[in-house]
Amino acid sequence: MRFVLPLLLLPAVVRADVDFNRDVRPILSNNCFACHGPDEKERKGKLRLDTQEGALKALTPGKPDDSELIARVASADADMLMPPPKTGKKLTAKEIETLTAWVKQGGKYATHWSYVKPSRPAVPAGSPHPIDAFAQQRLAKDGLKPSPEADRYALVRRVALDLTGLPPTVAEVDEFVNDKSANAYEKMVDRMLAKPAFGEHWARLWLDLARYADSAGYADDPPRTIWPYRDYVIKALNANKPFDRFTVEQIAGDLLPDATDETRTATAFHRNTMTNSEGGTSDEEFRNAAVVDRVNTTLAVWMGTSMACAQCHTHKYDPITQKEYFAFFALLNNTEDADRNDETPVIVLDDTPEKKAKREEYQAAVAALQKVKLKDKEDADALKKLTDGLNKKAADLKPKATVPVMKELPKGKRRVTKLQFRGNFMDLGEVVTEGTPQAFHPLPAGEPNRLAMAKWLVSRDNPLTARVTVNRFWEQIFGTGLVRTTEEFGTQGELPSHPELLDWLAVEFMEKWDIKHILKLMVMSATYRQSSKVTPELQERDLDNRLYARGPRYRLSAETVRDQALAVSGLLSAKMYGPSVRPLRPSLGLSAAFGGGLDWQPSAGEDRHRRGLYTEWRRTSPYPSMVTFDAPSREACTLRRIRTNTPLQALVTLNDPVYVEAAQALARKTAGQGKTTAERVTFAFRSCLGRPPSDKEVSRLVTLFDESKATYSKDAKKAEALATDPVGPLPKGSDAVDLAAWTTVCNVLLNLDEMLMRR
Amino acid sequence: MHPLLHSTRRHFLGAGSLGLGAAAVSLLGGRASAADNPLSPKKPHFAPKAKRVIYLHMSGSPPHLDLFDYKPELVKWDGKDVPDSYLKGRRFAFTSGVPKLMGTPRKFQQHGKGGIWMSDAVPNFHKLADDITVIKSMKTDEFNHAPAELLLFTGSNRQGRPGMGTWVTYGLGSESENLPGFVVLISSGVQPSGGANCWGSGFLPSVFQGVQCRSKGDPVLYVSDPKGMDRDTRRKTLDALRDLNEMQAAELGHPETATRIQQYELAFRMQTAVPEVMDISKETKEVLDDYGAKPGEASFANNCLLARRLAEKGVRFVQLFDWGWDFHGTNPAEDIRDGLTKKCATMDKPIAALIRDLKRLGMFDDTLVVWSGEFGRTPFREGRTAGGTILGRDHYPDCYCVWLAGAGIKRGFSYGETEELGFAVSENKVHVHDLQATILHQLGIDHTKLTTRFQGRDYRLTDVHGNVVKDVLA
Repeated sequence: MRFVLPLLLLPAVVRADVDFNRDVRPILSNNCFACHGPDEKERKGKLRLDTQEGALKALTPGKPDDSELIARVASADADMLMPPPKTGKKLTAKEIETLTAWVKQGGKYATHWSYVKPSRPAVPAGSPHPIDAFAQQRLAKDGLKPSPEADRYALVRRVALDLTGLPPTVAEVDEFVNDKSANAYEKMVDRMLAKPAFGEHWARLWLDLARYADSAGYADDPPRTIWPYRDYVIKALNANKPFDRFTVEQIAGDLLPDATDETRTATAFHRNTMTNSEGGTSDEEFRNAAVVDRVNTTLAVWMGTSMACAQCHTHKYDPITQKEYFAFFALLNNTEDADRNDETPVIVLDDTPEKKAKREEYQAAVAALQKVKLKDKEDADALKKLTDGLNKKAADLKPKATVPVMKELPKGKRRVTKLQFRGNFMDLGEVVTEGTPQAFHPLPAGEPNRLAMAKWLVSRDNPLTARVTVNRFWEQIFGTGLVRTTEEFGTQGELPSHPELLDWLAVEFMEKWDIKHILKLMVMSATYRQSSKVTPELQERDLDNRLYARGPRYRLSAETVRDQALAVSGLLSAKMYGPSVRPLRPSLGLSAAFGGGLDWQPSAGEDRHRRGLYTEWRRTSPYPSMVTFDAPSREACTLRRIRTNTPLQALVTLNDPVYVEAAQALARKTAGQGKTTAERVTFAFRSCLGRPPSDKEVSRLVTLFDESKATYSKDAKKAEALATDPVGPLPKGSDAVDLAAWTTVCNVLLNLDEMLMRR
Repeated sequence: MHPLLHSTRRHFLGAGSLGLGAAAVSLLGGRASAADNPLSPKKPHFAPKAKRVIYLHMSGSPPHLDLFDYKPELVKWDGKDVPDSYLKGRRFAFTSGVPKLMGTPRKFQQHGKGGIWMSDAVPNFHKLADDITVIKSMKTDEFNHAPAELLLFTGSNRQGRPGMGTWVTYGLGSESENLPGFVVLISSGVQPSGGANCWGSGFLPSVFQGVQCRSKGDPVLYVSDPKGMDRDTRRKTLDALRDLNEMQAAELGHPETATRIQQYELAFRMQTAVPEVMDISKETKEVLDDYGAKPGEASFANNCLLARRLAEKGVRFVQLFDWGWDFHGTNPAEDIRDGLTKKCATMDKPIAALIRDLKRLGMFDDTLVVWSGEFGRTPFREGRTAGGTILGRDHYPDCYCVWLAGAGIKRGFSYGETEELGFAVSENKVHVHDLQATILHQLGIDHTKLTTRFQGRDYRLTDVHGNVVKDVLA
């Protein structure tokens, strides 16, 4: 099984102008590099095909007939044929033709596209918005036309869900729909970007990358206090902290000359690695595993590069040697943390500096008083009373939280990094010093440490970080990245569908590393604003919508599915930040291996109804209904969530008490509205979707209401159960039968395809 | 139905019943076209011997030296210091210094025509001697529970890869229309150390992951309608939902809407099928007694019976985990004498009943049954408990025992040996990756060809290793 580019992106016939990166490298990488690539140990016949110099041994430029490379891949003799038949690989006739045409044209190599620094391409003429100009140029090539703009109801919901992860209120919908001004759309976008909910929504993506969770992982998976890091991410995004600063703070916020509690909290990014507290485990083994995770996560998140292969052997596809892997490892190998159960080092955080100062003042006073020796009993009693009082005052000012942080080991305690044979931490080779792979730009001048590496990640010379990051944003907004393999930009990744557009956005992003600016650019484009309506013809030609001849439409994330149900029913708490919470969840009656119970007592009050990102994330037992909607366990960095559509999802939104409660709450709001059933249906419908329902939709829901009402009027007990469990006792003066019938209607509304998708 | 709606519906149900988001469909590349439901049955690489797998995992790892691998020499040397050569350069989980060798206190005998050695701890297994192949030469790379279970079930000692049953479901789809293709059952109240990763989806779409079924509460989460909603009302709500979704499909033309309609119908059928299959009270008293199963309990015996019921209904991979096999000797329940006798009594009886039942139903020949732990236990007393009266053993990765039975497996056969004190495999070493390759092989899957590309690399359950253990195949 292999990745297949949508057919229309592949050249139908061998192009006259064979492009090495587009046409040739994928063939060589998939079929030849494993034995004839960068890995010297695995190299067969001393032939290397990943460099021009190496390949010249097997090809004569311009003369395919004199080229061993062509002769071998086309050979009829099984002993001569390459790749060897036992590998199960075989070039297709078209691939052989491509290679032949390439050799004929000179057999020239080019640096892999993503390793070349992006430069700003000229924007094609024809559209004022650069995204539209590039997208329409590409569409025209395929003889396709963009779709008309979606209607305003669809637009406001799309923008709200994409930027804030919450649906617009009916008032917000009406404000936009009725706004006659020319820049109504832009004003609406700006309102969404300015909401605190923006940071909460976009933090979710970053927390997947950071493998943020509220437990330490492995078998017993004990709780871990690290939520201040989650709050740091939300605040950074809301404040629109430039991405380069955001990066440096998370990788090396402790080493900054102006380090603060905030920048130190940011370094918890890499303290989200797991800690193994299973009895009998070696702390050094799992400290080492955490550093490996940090190396792999750093390169994958910022540079779309999978380093993991090079932990055990020189990379088979990309130019990264094993020694270079451990040079990068050395950059992250000298922090104080060491797989300890108490998660040290941690920092203590206070709500305000005043509180901290006050508490320390009390503590200092107590310490001083304890040194006083008094003989007189009366004096001693008074002293005790005083110290007790001060202690209590100090205790009342308890810190907000602690958070595990990265802290560099001092001189004299530094670890020496050695190459690990086959990635085994006990099988050590030569000493390796800090560095980055040769294939990329050099580290900035000065001491080669974490701070230098952080700056290297966001250097203007870094060919990957900006591309990878804007591609990730694009994926969130448009459903699929311009490079579909958001997790892999190396030679084994897919090529971008719109290379110039990607580079234009990457260069634009590097100007100020302004996240909100890039997101605004995307949602302001006409490409984004198109109707998502699809014709069978378009469906056939571009199933995945990689060419953007229509607007994006895809299923909402696990958290958004939950948040939306709570929002439209009026249950959602607007409370931000703080310790993670425990919404309703069925008991599983299980414990973690060697650890405590996995079940929980639900939080009280509004904490039951907080946004999904505040839900306590226990790695061995993540919140089940979010897992069903493809939320990861966060044990390792999740670079791309896969979206599925399963019957288990239907069971969640139909029957999970959280969703039943939402239906009941919306039913209570609905029952008191308007004069007719149709008016009430319209109210509930608009609360959910923003748009007014069609007559057909109203009449179908009225029918359901009438049917349900007839059923429940015959069974008061059932009616009461459906109207109250779990939302709570009937409000005074309300009718159980009526509320039960409205609950069935709202249950349907919350399950509409249109609810689960953005249209 | 309005003719337009009807034709639209036909069009989409006929042409594009996407079961996945577009991204996931492309992920399946050559195997699945957009028109495929990802769970629809797929052809194996070659004719399979096994239609299904029942995997019985003893979480914590039973003391194989007190069950299957009889070492008379070790008994002779009982109480003596472990020779230096066995300890040099080694680490153990809870033992340091020079531990004492410990011969088994259990009585061993050979059973069946193949002369399989078994101890008196598992009397009910004696009767299975002519049905199973015991592999005495297993080896793993890990001696901590979580990494060892992950290696066994996902092929990697670290989190993040798909589980064995997930791979199988990805490769072969599901035979059951109303039940998940891969079901997980847990007994003794504790999750396995590898956690949900053991049946998780890793980098495959979550549609392939194991569904945990429970004996108490909803057998599958959220399978019950809300309180106060009966089946008739649920049906009425789903009818309304379908009609509204069809209006949406007609307007926007998205095939995923049609898929969603289908998934809701499947969910409705699951709501009946799952509680039915999970309700063992319908079994005869004879069958219940044979297993030692009691309706309403969350026992291993119940889970063995459920495994059979699920297999009967077309569930391809049933994974059982039973906690409490970590025989360190830290408490009487972990003593390899009385403690082991009691623990085994909850395990060998229902397993023997399961094999008998599969035979009775004519399913034994095409069901692969696997019994395993995640590693072995030391031929010496565990360090922390060596001073006490309770006898326990430490974790040991270099040799241990598993057994296989049913579909295409030799019957009454013992494979592999360890050297006389049981510290190393002396012949026919079987690595965890070889076991994985063999299980996939019995299902008709070439383990080198069941791959998925992630981060630019083709991954598989057996990583870059694994050889099918042909010697144990009939």
